[in-house]
Amino acid sequence: MAKLDRLSLVSRKIFAGKMRGERLSKRKGESAEFADHRNYVVGDDLRFLDWNIYARFERLFIKLFLEEEDLHVNILLDVSKSMDWGQPNKGLYARRVAAALAYIGLVNFDRVSIFPYADGLRQELAGVRGRRLMFKVAEFLTRVEYGGASDLARAGRQFAGRHPQQGIVLLLSDFFEKGGFEEGFRFLLGRNYDIYAVQVLSPEEIDPPLAGDLRLTDVEDGDIAEVTVGRALLHRYKHNLQAYCGGLREYCTQRGISYLFTGTDVDFDQVVLSYFRKRGLLK
Amino acid sequence: MTFLDPTALALAAGLTVPALVAMYFLKLKRTARVVPSTLLWKRAVEDLHVNAPFQRLRSSLLLLLQLLVLLVAALALGKPMFQTAERHEDTLIILVDQSASMNVKEADGRSRLDLAKEQARLRVDNMSDHARAMLIAFCDRATVISSFDTNKDALKRLIDSIPATESTTNLGEAMSLAEAYTQNIIIGGEETGADVAPESSAPPATVFLITDGRIEDAEQVALQKFDKERIHVANVGQRVDNVGIVAMDARRNYERPEILEVAATVENFGPDPVTVDAVLYVDGDSLDVQTVALEGRRPAVGDGDAGGGAGARESIGVAAFDPVEFGGGGVVQVTLRVDDALPADDRAWTILDPPRHVRVLLVTEGSLPLEDVLPTLPIELVKMTPAEYEAADEKDLQSGERSLYDVVIMERHSTARLPHGNYFFWAAVPRIEGIAAGEPIRDEIVVNWDETHPLLRHVAVETLFVLEWLRLSVPPEAVSVIEGESSPILTYFVHGASQYLVSAFSLTVDDADGTAWLNTRWVATVDFVVFMQNAVQFLSSNVALRGARTVRPGEPVTMPSAPGTERIQVIRPDGSVDMVTATTYQKFHYAATRQTGIYRADPGVAGHDRFAVNLFNFVESDVSPATAVTIGTERIDSQAGQIDVNEPAWPYLLVVMLAVLIFEWVVYNRRVLV
Repeated sequence: MAKLDRLSLVSRKIFAGKMRGERLSKRKGESAEFADHRNYVVGDDLRFLDWNIYARFERLFIKLFLEEEDLHVNILLDVSKSMDWGQPNKGLYARRVAAALAYIGLVNFDRVSIFPYADGLRQELAGVRGRRLMFKVAEFLTRVEYGGASDLARAGRQFAGRHPQQGIVLLLSDFFEKGGFEEGFRFLLGRNYDIYAVQVLSPEEIDPPLAGDLRLTDVEDGDIAEVTVGRALLHRYKHNLQAYCGGLREYCTQRGISYLFTGTDVDFDQVVLSYFRKRGLLK
Repeated sequence: MTFLDPTALALAAGLTVPALVAMYFLKLKRTARVVPSTLLWKRAVEDLHVNAPFQRLRSSLLLLLQLLVLLVAALALGKPMFQTAERHEDTLIILVDQSASMNVKEADGRSRLDLAKEQARLRVDNMSDHARAMLIAFCDRATVISSFDTNKDALKRLIDSIPATESTTNLGEAMSLAEAYTQNIIIGGEETGADVAPESSAPPATVFLITDGRIEDAEQVALQKFDKERIHVANVGQRVDNVGIVAMDARRNYERPEILEVAATVENFGPDPVTVDAVLYVDGDSLDVQTVALEGRRPAVGDGDAGGGAGARESIGVAAFDPVEFGGGGVVQVTLRVDDALPADDRAWTILDPPRHVRVLLVTEGSLPLEDVLPTLPIELVKMTPAEYEAADEKDLQSGERSLYDVVIMERHSTARLPHGNYFFWAAVPRIEGIAAGEPIRDEIVVNWDETHPLLRHVAVETLFVLEWLRLSVPPEAVSVIEGESSPILTYFVHGASQYLVSAFSLTVDDADGTAWLNTRWVATVDFVVFMQNAVQFLSSNVALRGARTVRPGEPVTMPSAPGTERIQVIRPDGSVDMVTATTYQKFHYAATRQTGIYRADPGVAGHDRFAVNLFNFVESDVSPATAVTIGTERIDSQAGQIDVNEPAWPYLLVVMLAVLIFEWVVYNRRVLV
C-alpha cells in the first residue's frame, strides 16, 4: 500500500472532469498553463491578449490556458465464468489489479468506477473518490460473483452509451471472445477513452497440462470439443494462443490502446509497480 | 517363411485387429475436462484436422503400435518357420539305422545312433500339427517303434528308446514295412490295420532315412510305393578310422587234437597305416600276442557306397597265433588292442569243445570199403549189423530223442528206427515220408555235381564211375549233390531234427551167389577217403576239430536242450536274460543275437550250452560314412550333417513384439508427460 501511495494514474489523454482534480484538462480554462490562441472578439478578457503576436503581426489573439479537472478511472472487470479459473485464479488476480489501480486513483482524488461485466454490464461501483472510500472498493470487489459468458461487445456498447465522459478505461479480461474482441473495443474507441487492456491468463491456459483423448467442455457456454491431445496438437494450440494474443496486441497498438499481457503466476507487485509504470499507466 | 498353423494366425488376426480398431474408432473413451474456453482448442483441432477418420489413424501412433503388437502376436500363433528345407508332406516315415556301425563314437563323444535320434527328434519337431509320423528302427531286422502317430511328445520318447545293437543292416525289410503301413492309412480317418483295402487314398509319404550309409542290402531293395523324390537321406557320422576282426578260425590239430591253432583275419578300414596287437585268450587266460602291421585302405571303385569294396590287400593281415596246448573245452577269444571307432569288431570269440572223436555207428552186414576207410579217420567207430541195430535197446542207441552217435551210416539197410541224428544211407533210404528208392539204374553216367558243396571239397567227382544205382524219389527240399542222367545219385536233406545224406549207389553189389563185387572203382581212390572224411565232418559239424558254434549278429542259432527241459534261460553277453521254450525235438531256437560276445544257455547240454556271436562284417566294420545311398537302382545323395529343418521364427517375432511394446510404452509416457 505504501508503494501504491506514491503512484498515480497517468492518462495519455487529458480529459475534462466535473471537478477540478489534479488533472489538466484539455478544456481551455484559466490555469497557468498555456494551451492555445484564438482571434480576439469583442468582450474577451483583455488580460489574455498575446501582445507578442500583436507586435509581430499587428493582430489581436487571446491566449487559451488548460483547465485542471478530476480523472475518471473506469475499471471494466471481466467476471465471466472463464475468469474464475486457474491456479492462481484469474479472477482473483484481476481483482487485485483492479483494487490496486483503484487505490491509486482514489489516492490521487481520481473518480474511480468499477464495472463488472460478463454478458453485459453488471451492478457497478460508480464515482468513488478519495482514499477513505477504499473500503467500498474492497467490499465491492470481494462481493463480485463470476458467471455467464463473456460478451465484450455488449458490455462495451452499454458502457459507451451510459458513460460518455472521457477518462481512463481499464479492461481486465482474458479476452477469449468467441464473437471477437474487435466490436467491443470499437465502442470504447468511439468515446475516445484512454484505454488500457490487460489480458490475464492462467498457467494452465498458457501451457495446458493435458494429454490423451479428451472431451473438453467450455466452462462458459458448455461447448464441447473432442480432442486427442498430443504433442502436435499442443504445439498448434500454443501457436494459436500466441497468434491470438499477438493479434490482440497488434489491434490495440494500432488503435492507441495500451496492451499488457500477464499470467497469474507473475508476481502481483511486478505487474503493478513495474509493468504498468513501463507502459505509462502509472508514474 | 511358412506357417505350421495358418488357421491360428488367421483367427487371431481376424478377431483381434478389427476389435482393436473398432475400440479406437467406435467407442473411443475420452476423459472429460473443463476448460475456460474451447476457442483455441477448436482452432488447433481444425488446423490439424485430427477429427477426420483417416488422419486420426495416421496420427494415432499408439493405435498403430498396438495394431503392430497384435499382428506380431497373431503371426507367432501361426507358428511361422523359416523355410530352409523343402516343404514335406504330412505323412512321414522315419527310418533309423541301429546297426553295429551306428555305435561309432564321433568326435563329440556321441554315438552315431545318438546323432540319428537327434535328427529324428528334429524332424518330429518340424512336423505340422496335423502331420503323422511313423518310426521304424532297423538293423538285421526292422522293428516298428511307432505306427503313425500325431503326438510329437510320444514320438520323441519312442525315438529315445531305440536301442543300440551290434547287428548288421537290412534295409529291405524296413522299406517293406514302411510301404505296407503306408498303404493301410486313410486320409481323415483313424481306421488302420491290415484289413483295410490296399487301394486306400493314402497320402504320399515322405521317407527320412537316417543312417551312416553302411547298408549291405541297399541295392537289393525294390522300391514299389515310394519314389526317389520322396526319400531323403540324412548322413550321420564322420569318423573313418577302424580296425576290425573280419574272420577267425580256431581248430584242433588233426593228428594231435590237444593242440589248438588259432588265426584271425584283421583289416584296417581307415586311411592311415596302423599296427595293432592281437591277443589270444583261452578261457580268460592270455596265451599269445601277435603284432599285425596294416597299410591304410586305399579307396576302391565305388568305395563309400553301401556294400563297399574290400579295399587294398595290404590293409588286411592275419594274426596267426602260435599253436597252444589246450586239451579242454572253453572260450577262445581274440582281442585287438586298439582304440578305434567301432569296438564291436575288436573282439571275436569261438567256443571250443573238448577234443573228442566223432562217434560213428556203422550198420552193415559187411562192407569192406567202409570198414577199411572209416577206421582210418579220427573217429570212434562202432559197428552193428542191421539185426543188431533193430534189436538194440533204446539206451544203446539214443539219449531221449537224440541218437548217441554223431553219425549213423546205414549200408544197404533201410529203417524206420531213426532217433534224431545224422544219417548216411548207402543204397538205401530212411523210411520216412517223401523219399523212396526204386529199381536200379544201369548204364547211366554221372552228369553233374556240386563241386562247391562241402561234401565234395577236394573230391574229384569226375573220376566217379558207378555201375548201377537206385532210382530215387526225393523230397522237394533235397539238394542233389551228385546227379545222374535221370535220378540223383547223392542227395542231402533235413527232415525234422535229423540230417540225411543218401547215396543211391552202394559201394559193392552182391551177385546171385552172394559174392560182393565192387560197384565202383571209386573206393580204391583217395577221393573216396576224402569224401568220407568230408561226409563225417559235414554231418557231425565236427566241433571237435574245428571248434565252434558262432553266428553273426541277427542270425538265429539252434542249440540242443537237455531232455525234459521246456524253458531255457539264455544269458546274453551283457548279463541280461531271455527265456526261450524248447521245441519238441529237444532243441531251442534263439534269434535275439544282436550283441556280440558269448551267450550261454541254462540249463544247457554239456558242451553245447554256449555259442558266440561275432560281427565279421566288412560293411559294418567299414565305418566311413557314405555320401550317397543306392536304394535299388536309385542313387540318393545324403545330406551330410542333418536333414534341413525349418527353423521356428516365433522367438524372433516374440522379440519384435517385446520391442514394440517397450516403444509403445515410451510413446504413451511421452504423450502423458508432454
